[in-house]
Amino acid sequence: MLVLTPLVLSALCIPAALNSTPYSFNVQLPLGLNFGFHADGLALFMAVTASFLGLIIVLYSYGYMAHAEHQDEFYLMVVLFIGAMMGITLTTSLVFLYLFWEISALCCWRLIGFFREREYVRRANKAFLITGAGALVMLAGFLVIYAQYGTTDLLALRGKEVSNVAVTLILFGILSKSATLPLHSWIADAGIAPTPVTALLHAAVLVKIGVYAFARLFLVTFEMEAFWHTAIPVIAAVSALLSAGAAIAENDIKRVIAYSTVSQLAFILLGLSVGSELAVAGGILYILMHGISKGGLFLCAGIVEHTCHTKDITKLGGLSKTMPVTAASFFLCALSVMGVPPFGGFFSKDMVINGALQADQPWIAAVFVIGAMMTLIYLLRVFVKVFLGEPKAEVHTHPEGSPVMVFTVGLMATLSLVSGLLVNFPASMVGTIVKQLTEVLQ
Amino acid sequence: MNETALFNTLLFAAIFLPALFGGLLLLVPKKAHGVHVGLLLLGFAANLVLCFSLYGTAGAFEHEWLGFEINFSFRLYQFNGFLLLAAGAISFLTALFTASFAWKREYAKQLFSYMLFTVTLVNGALLANNLFVMLLFWQGILATLFGMIRLGSKGAYKTSVKAVILAGTGDLCLMFGIGLTEHAAHTLAMDAIANLPLSGMAGVGFVFFIIGILAKLGAMPFHTWQTDASHDAPAPFLAFLPGALEKLLGIYLLVRVCTGFFDLSSANGMQTLVIVLGACTLLFGAMSAIVQKDFKRLLTYVAISQAGLMLLSIGTASAMGTVGGVYTLLNFAVCQGLLFLAAAAVEKQAGTTELSALGGLIKKMPVTAVGFLLAAASVVGFPLTGGFFAGSLAYDAIRQSGSIYYIVALLSQFFVAAALLKALFAVFFGKGEKTGSVKEAPSIMLVPVAALALLSLALAVFYKSIVTGLVAPTLVDYAGADTLSTHTNLLLTVLSVVVLAFAALSHTYGAKKFGAAQSADHFKSAPVLRTVYGMAEKKYFDPYYTGGFVIKAYAKASLFVNDAISRFYDVAVPRLTSALSSVVKRAHNGNQARYVGWVLFGMVLLTVLFVLFL
Repeated sequence: MLVLTPLVLSALCIPAALNSTPYSFNVQLPLGLNFGFHADGLALFMAVTASFLGLIIVLYSYGYMAHAEHQDEFYLMVVLFIGAMMGITLTTSLVFLYLFWEISALCCWRLIGFFREREYVRRANKAFLITGAGALVMLAGFLVIYAQYGTTDLLALRGKEVSNVAVTLILFGILSKSATLPLHSWIADAGIAPTPVTALLHAAVLVKIGVYAFARLFLVTFEMEAFWHTAIPVIAAVSALLSAGAAIAENDIKRVIAYSTVSQLAFILLGLSVGSELAVAGGILYILMHGISKGGLFLCAGIVEHTCHTKDITKLGGLSKTMPVTAASFFLCALSVMGVPPFGGFFSKDMVINGALQADQPWIAAVFVIGAMMTLIYLLRVFVKVFLGEPKAEVHTHPEGSPVMVFTVGLMATLSLVSGLLVNFPASMVGTIVKQLTEVLQ
Repeated sequence: MNETALFNTLLFAAIFLPALFGGLLLLVPKKAHGVHVGLLLLGFAANLVLCFSLYGTAGAFEHEWLGFEINFSFRLYQFNGFLLLAAGAISFLTALFTASFAWKREYAKQLFSYMLFTVTLVNGALLANNLFVMLLFWQGILATLFGMIRLGSKGAYKTSVKAVILAGTGDLCLMFGIGLTEHAAHTLAMDAIANLPLSGMAGVGFVFFIIGILAKLGAMPFHTWQTDASHDAPAPFLAFLPGALEKLLGIYLLVRVCTGFFDLSSANGMQTLVIVLGACTLLFGAMSAIVQKDFKRLLTYVAISQAGLMLLSIGTASAMGTVGGVYTLLNFAVCQGLLFLAAAAVEKQAGTTELSALGGLIKKMPVTAVGFLLAAASVVGFPLTGGFFAGSLAYDAIRQSGSIYYIVALLSQFFVAAALLKALFAVFFGKGEKTGSVKEAPSIMLVPVAALALLSLALAVFYKSIVTGLVAPTLVDYAGADTLSTHTNLLLTVLSVVVLAFAALSHTYGAKKFGAAQSADHFKSAPVLRTVYGMAEKKYFDPYYTGGFVIKAYAKASLFVNDAISRFYDVAVPRLTSALSSVVKRAHNGNQARYVGWVLFGMVLLTVLFVLFL
């Protein structure tokens, strides 16, 4: 109910936002500070996406965490995490953006180290330290802006030019959260967390905070120098290629999907940063499509790990015979991430790459075409090794996961397909958002 | 219902009705074999009726869809209407054959369903009038391609992965080409893109378009999955997709690209690129065909070489080359489909396609043998066959583009003829010691074989009418193309006879020396060719393997970099932090004077900063 509420409320706010009369609440505080929320199209798109995927993942958790200890802590952290995400999407204040950001980092820290073993805690600390350090640097960037304009109000700061120093500092925080090279290494290590957590962090919410913050700050609010429209795509391109390469070489199913996340996030970052309307629309749409399909992949990987007690794809094989629904769901979600039509991922990927071409960045677009080709390779490799061929002797064949887990992965796979077949609905909302963004900047 | 509404209904039915049947098939219980076949045939028959009813009409449908010029737009005109009908007819005949071939097989339901989905995708791609929409349907074939190949032998999934990676790479290149073309043309509407100069982004876009088309045609270097699929995939798949529908799609787009979107005639470099790629595919496919030991694999290489011939002919960007290329496509779709169906019939009845294990089937499978003979004669360009008439235009257009390409085409004709003679004699003549109990294929399988055989004859008998009435009018840009039906090619007639005679001599020599199934083995030991075949056997020409090494090396390097970054956070940062903390610890020694010193230093630092930034 706690996760359903923000979803319903966010959805109810959409019509007003799309009619350019968004619900808004803003209180000015002393010293140029402020507190408020602004439910515009971009914020609601992100809020609905995150809460919807969060809801499905919570549903999956009922099966996955059924026998785990400290469930109350788990659900508290998950709900707090989704709440922090809502705060980040809707806030109008740089200070509160930072506060919600850090709350999400704390929840993430507890959730990654949830099983409390020494190695797990070490990796949770690593994730917290990288994203926390990034957040502190980002805070320094906010202070530079505050020093320049004397306010933290995002609505009042619209259209203001920000210095390269501020952009660099803020980008540090954003890239650490969105797991972009070289600040990405925490995400692969975070795979030791319970699967619902990895799905929540890697697919649905956490990593999207970074790209959302980028859109909120640098598409809607500030103006940065044209140089960044090339520099950021270059960073994204390097991140996409190196992480895709690592995904091909990895044998741990969760690490492969984690590296895939790094690679796919680079596509989103490219879309949002390259500077064409089509690319921005593709980038925003990518957040939804990737969230659905990558969430599905993680949840499928969770079922495999839960039932076979291994994540090593070289020890797995032939599972499609005993786990047909999980295998089919994994394949459908993988097709979407690969960008095969008519799955949702096709539309967003095509729009981002063509958007980069429209922004006169053919070389960057070409690099991302190679990245898309590598996506085909590593996801097919995982699917073949885990689900096709003959079962391996060292891993006993197992039936499907619990009904609720199988239902959720089936739902994710169906959504991956339906989001493509009915792409005009999210696309029209994204189109309106991009139109509003353009009007705001003009 | 008014005319426009009727047209739109028929248009959408032609695209989506097969998928509806495919979806229904998936819902039917596994053991309801009769229902599976019923839905398959009903779906394909409905598709054929729809394609037929649309043929000869023209119209367009456009609906705003995703914004950014991505409209749900379709357009029917003479050329795509003609190809739609051809695709509908050939896929119906293939479905008829498959219904019997796959009867009660475990995979039948899925195969039938995937075939129906594929027809939807092919029809959508043919009718699309927006490059994005065309890509949507075009690339969607990847999923059904994977599914259909995987249904074959036990290890077929490996081939299906290879197919998706190679074809997917081509599709991604096409996507990039479309993006570049849109950038140059400022539109995605296919009917609004015309004669783009081949320079700058448009030139690069053209190259990527061609790469995407090569992948769909199964031309070099994207051909290797087809030869593997010939062994692993269900036999009718070869006739259905690589043997017919993919070639139709590839040639359709090639004609649009070379004679519509871009001004190829003014860019010699780009034209040469297409021609050289076509010539390489033609020669490589033919040379590979002669040394094959498996019936289906041999035919797959013949199909690859024919794709090269079409590419070469249309790449000339002349009216004669384009009409010749399209007629070759028609002949190919009929005859190559017939060859594959004959091979599938042999596989079903004899249980093998190994050439050395077959023989003497002409008496046991006479209808299949006659069908094979007619198709083979046409493919090798035997005088007065459909293939000969197609070649009379294509070869002359090629000759005008350069003697070297003409020589390559004739040489390839020789190799293809030698390969098909080898197959003919190894399978249908000789003793056939292991095929004693083989019988002719069931009647339902012979219906499409006979129908395609008759069609192949029709392509020869009605050549002039087909060129004048069907092919030439589709090429609206070529005024006077219909006069090409009277084109005579005496030189080719003479040369074809000579080439075919040499092929027969070569076969006779090889058959005496090595036996019918190895009648071309003398080429394997010839100088130069020995090295080439050796390299081919080591898979040097297979980009899946050569590229695989590169990708593996790159992946290892990437993992190393990622691990190094991870080690920086895991090892270097903690060490740096402990070093820093030990320094601070030393400063923190309880000495009051030192604390006072630190306070003073801090105050000075703050003052300096304050002064600097004020």
